Amino acid sequence: MNTGFKALHSVTAIGLNTFRETVRDKILYAFMLFACAISLISVLLGSLSVGQDIKILEDIGLAAISCICGIIAVFAGTNLVYKELEKRTVYLIFTKPITGWQFIAGKYLGLSACLFIVVAAMGLFLSLLVWFVRPEHSLSLLPSILGFMMPAVLLVYLELLFVIALATFFSTFSSPVMSVLFTLSLWLIGHFGDSLRQLGQMSQNPAFAQFSNFVYFLLPDLAGLTRARSILMYGRNPGLEVIAFITCYVFAYVVLLLVLASAVTDRREFP
Amino acid sequence: MTDAAIEASKLSKDVISSFLRKRVRVLDGLDLSVQKSETFGLLGPNGAGKTTTLKLLLGLIRPSEGTATVLNHTAGDAKALERIGFLPENPYFYSHLTGREFMDFVGRLFGLNGKTRKERTSELLEMVALDKTAYDKPLGKYSKGMLQRLGIAQSLVNDPDVLFWDEPMSGLDPIGRRDVRMILAKLKEQKKTIFFNSHLLPDVNEVCDRVGVLNRGKLVAQEKISTISASGNYRDLEDYFLTVIGESETST
Repeated sequence: MNTGFKALHSVTAIGLNTFRETVRDKILYAFMLFACAISLISVLLGSLSVGQDIKILEDIGLAAISCICGIIAVFAGTNLVYKELEKRTVYLIFTKPITGWQFIAGKYLGLSACLFIVVAAMGLFLSLLVWFVRPEHSLSLLPSILGFMMPAVLLVYLELLFVIALATFFSTFSSPVMSVLFTLSLWLIGHFGDSLRQLGQMSQNPAFAQFSNFVYFLLPDLAGLTRARSILMYGRNPGLEVIAFITCYVFAYVVLLLVLASAVTDRREFP
Repeated sequence: MTDAAIEASKLSKDVISSFLRKRVRVLDGLDLSVQKSETFGLLGPNGAGKTTTLKLLLGLIRPSEGTATVLNHTAGDAKALERIGFLPENPYFYSHLTGREFMDFVGRLFGLNGKTRKERTSELLEMVALDKTAYDKPLGKYSKGMLQRLGIAQSLVNDPDVLFWDEPMSGLDPIGRRDVRMILAKLKEQKKTIFFNSHLLPDVNEVCDRVGVLNRGKLVAQEKISTISASGNYRDLEDYFLTVIGESETST
């Protein structure tokens, strides 16, 4: 077996193990049920509105998917490496011909694969709920509902890929509590990063303007992702180039964070 | 290239104590050579530096001074790790996996193909006499003895040339200990190099060719088992161990 293939084999092994670990954790199903319950409650909320019941269901449902899956990503992601250290299973991994990047890539891909299934299942549930609430009840409507719902759900997943990478990075060198705080902070900042740039533009001080601009470019900007998702939910097309840019932007961040996480793992000792 | 499977030269490790941030030397200038096909037992009281030595030889931690090589590769090098089998002191494995899945996972880490993994899993689980009904049970439901047997099986997945076993008999009942001794005998027949830490001196006496004694991070003695028993100076290995430790304590 050549070296490249062997390396991929190891990544798959760690990925599959992480996938199994997450899928077999009962808390995952509790969270999924909670997200479904929120969607069901939004049907009731929608019925209180005047002609906006579908919109409310779609908005709250998608927000529930984003928040619940985000919570799963943060908590599972921040424990990815820490759990291995705490349970000392890391001894088992690093006494095999495994490098830091194989370990990190495997952990990341395993959790990402698990969350893909969770997000897809929730998206499907929400689509079926929207179809059920619509008065037409025609099966021919289902493809069109899935047509705008699933791309929006995919954008939620794209954001989650970033959150998992962030959580994985922090989990390589800090405790789970600190990792959760760092991840949540950066995730939140990512949605309000544009305000920082605007603050710099409003400032009379050129040094501060430059500084805020620098910080803005350093921090992730996830506002574009949310905007594109909203456009999709209104049944409009945000444009292929916008989606392509956002995807490349998120993937660049993910790669950067995973490279840093691998470097930290390679340098650390396992006493 | 030497004929030694494991070599350590002036190997030292310092750790920073968590309270006063003081540098403490836990292993001090270890010079050691274990020949190919030799069974070497590293003995020592608690905190003597046995597990630290093992971790240095496996590349889990880096030396503060000195060098360590395994099969002529720097300790921790992928080429060395490919030919090593390791059993940790308290086998902490993934509780969500079943015994069979766990063996498959370890086989994958070594890049073994599906057919080989399946064959090795059946062969090794049978060899360590793990109850067949436990093969598909989650590891969270295994007893300590069952985990120890599984740990031994996983350390042999890649058919290693060098085995590092940390307290292989711990947690095992007398039947389990006998089984491990039999496995060790079989591995010795296969000319494997075995390096292990143990507190159970009668077992060490039975399976080892040579022992080394660590005390306070220093290798204070090393001797062939046959020489210890033939010299007539000591009743048994325990007597040798206690004498050596006593002398080392007096000299310090």
